[in-house]
Amino acid sequence: MQSSNNPESSEDSLDRRRLLQALSAGGAIAIAGCSGGDGGDGGSGDGDSGDGGSGTDGDGGDGGDGGSRSIQFLTMGVGDNIQQYFEENNAAFEEEYGVDVEFTSVTWDNARQTVNNRVDGGQAPDVSRWPARWIPQLVGKDALEPLDDMMDGEFGQKFSEGVAAGTMYNGSHYGVPWAASNKCLYYNKDVFETAGLDPENPSLDSWDDMLSAAQQIRDSDASVPALGLAGADAIETGSQYYHYHWSHGADLVNDEGLPVVNTDGAVEALSFYTDLHLEHGVTQSSPLSSTRQDIRQLFENGDLGMVIGHVYTGLNIESAKESGDVDFDYGIVQVPEGPEGRYSLFTIDAITVLSQSEHKDLARDLIRFYFDEERRFQYSKQKGFLPVVEAVGERPYFSDSKNWAPFVEASQYARARPKLSNFSQFNDRMVQAIQEALADQKTPQKALNDAQSDLEDAME
Amino acid sequence: MSIAEEYTDTTDDSRFERGLTYLQRNSRAYLLIAPTALFLLAVVGYPILETFRLSLYQSPADSNIETFVGLQHYAEIVDSDIFYRLLWQTGRWVVVGVAGKTIMGLLIAVHLKGDIRGRKFFRTAFLIPWGIPYAISAVVFRWIEHPQFGYLNAILLKLGLIEQGIGILGNPDIAWLGVVVADIWIGTPFMAIIFLAGLQSIPQELYEAAAIDGAERWHQFRYITLPQLKSVILIATLLSTIWTFVSFDTIWTMTGGGPISTTATLVIHIYQVGLQNGNLGRGAAYSVIGFLFLFVFAIIYLRVYTRGGDEL
Repeated sequence: MQSSNNPESSEDSLDRRRLLQALSAGGAIAIAGCSGGDGGDGGSGDGDSGDGGSGTDGDGGDGGDGGSRSIQFLTMGVGDNIQQYFEENNAAFEEEYGVDVEFTSVTWDNARQTVNNRVDGGQAPDVSRWPARWIPQLVGKDALEPLDDMMDGEFGQKFSEGVAAGTMYNGSHYGVPWAASNKCLYYNKDVFETAGLDPENPSLDSWDDMLSAAQQIRDSDASVPALGLAGADAIETGSQYYHYHWSHGADLVNDEGLPVVNTDGAVEALSFYTDLHLEHGVTQSSPLSSTRQDIRQLFENGDLGMVIGHVYTGLNIESAKESGDVDFDYGIVQVPEGPEGRYSLFTIDAITVLSQSEHKDLARDLIRFYFDEERRFQYSKQKGFLPVVEAVGERPYFSDSKNWAPFVEASQYARARPKLSNFSQFNDRMVQAIQEALADQKTPQKALNDAQSDLEDAME
Repeated sequence: MSIAEEYTDTTDDSRFERGLTYLQRNSRAYLLIAPTALFLLAVVGYPILETFRLSLYQSPADSNIETFVGLQHYAEIVDSDIFYRLLWQTGRWVVVGVAGKTIMGLLIAVHLKGDIRGRKFFRTAFLIPWGIPYAISAVVFRWIEHPQFGYLNAILLKLGLIEQGIGILGNPDIAWLGVVVADIWIGTPFMAIIFLAGLQSIPQELYEAAAIDGAERWHQFRYITLPQLKSVILIATLLSTIWTFVSFDTIWTMTGGGPISTTATLVIHIYQVGLQNGNLGRGAAYSVIGFLFLFVFAIIYLRVYTRGGDEL
């Protein structure tokens, strides 16, 4: 639906090897401390859809060799665009292996709690997919089965070294890389044209370039906000802001894992971020009300000039254009560069086998089944995630696509959030600092100083 | 033993004997309530005790190991600024919410009691908000108040009253009001129905006699309706206070406790600390504090309202 009909596809096509190198680079960063989809990154393009599966929480399976066996498969954020994929493949697995797949999907909002409740309550599923960022916490609870037997063998050859390392913790693989994602900057070509900006060769290389373009849109006849800014009380607000933070030379934790969120670079970054709204007025109204999904939705409706988004934003717009719901052109460029570089938030989700499972061999079979090359291709294509299997990434579908190619290129700028067992708490405090600055309750310096102080106490 | 001796003899033996006699006399009653009492003990007593036990331990999210820390969680909570901010925000949420529901419920009940056309329809219609799951109502209100997609802003923009959408739920100063409005809308039908039942039990003769004596409607309401409804109002507001205090769905769905935690109540914070961040010990300590608040409130409330000797 994207590349084949896209006249620009040949111009945008990328070398396949570049994709693999880029993915490896992203994965390597994951080793150093990254990884995991954020609470919402794994959500579908249409938003989380709740329980997309047919199964219910069961009793852990009957486990009897002589009777009918069942295996519990828990995942998150199964939206309309991928539900059929799971239904068909679960049915195929059931037929091939003569077992029942009890498939459950929960929304990302409830994911963490569901996982903890089931693990703590001794009702863990056999197989589960979640952000690789959760691995440290779950390993600490002895909840995960090491999968070195798979990843060190022929099966592990499917992945580039960097991607495979994204699920490694304390020297063992505690999962198989399931999906990866990163970010680019989308812009509305129609809005750019109305504002007198060049829609085909926009100057959006740096944050200052982006601000200039946004100001021009604000002062033009374009009747839409220039830029989407996330500021709601949600994990994704941090995800959006960290692009600014990192590119100003700031970090979240140092090499010892201690918080360093109030450096000069961080203050500059947060000042720039809040000034977009408070001083320049180039954002949508009330960023504190807006989640990342809200601003993405605004852009997909054609009601926003620019937004940082995933691959699936473009895929959603293409679908909407095909069905006649929207009619505008858009372009995709790299996330703008800051004084200290350019970064694209990179995340990996993992599929894991739970140590409580009584069907560990069957669980491994289910994982192998889903890593059939064609199944992985369909998953990436339908879901809008970067392919993690090398052979799938080599397909021209990705490197030749107007929608996918910029994201393949963006992998070289990949950077992940620190792998901390209490990252949720850490991120919540950062979001609070962002909100305090955005609401003009505190200066960026004060907001970050307070956050630093609280985080130091929390991480003692 | 004379009656006088019975009441003055307070030796241990006589107390024991009297207790035994009492039990023998009421053994059947105790036997009958025993299953229910045991059931309640299991489903209410055990969780309370387990919560208290948890509050004495440090249980990090990334470990199965629990470390006994005694009252450390309580000391740190009482010593923290956020605790007092949560108390203020919870108190504000409960007082305004319960007051709003009570006043609205009373107004609706008084009008529904009258002989108005379509009374049956209105009685049914007013129940609808209560029949909708709280989370659904909260989603609806969130969208009504949304700065870009919401009906409220769309109407205000159409009328030319504003130039751009107002983000009520994103404004730290007024977000809590945006959530309280939804909570009042959801909770008013219950109050209205309870008050209506109470109003219908007030003898009509009282109003007729008052009318003959020249009492106007306000005086009838002030000196007949309110005193007669006292016990109903007591129970309804007590229940509403407890429910509002522990309500989670509406706030969580609309704001998640934000922005800048300005809509977070004690219950929202318990969820964030205990379940989102995995600090079960600290979350349990907050839960125990919340339980004690409600417990003490209920006792004081009942004492104050039954001071005149009224029976519920």
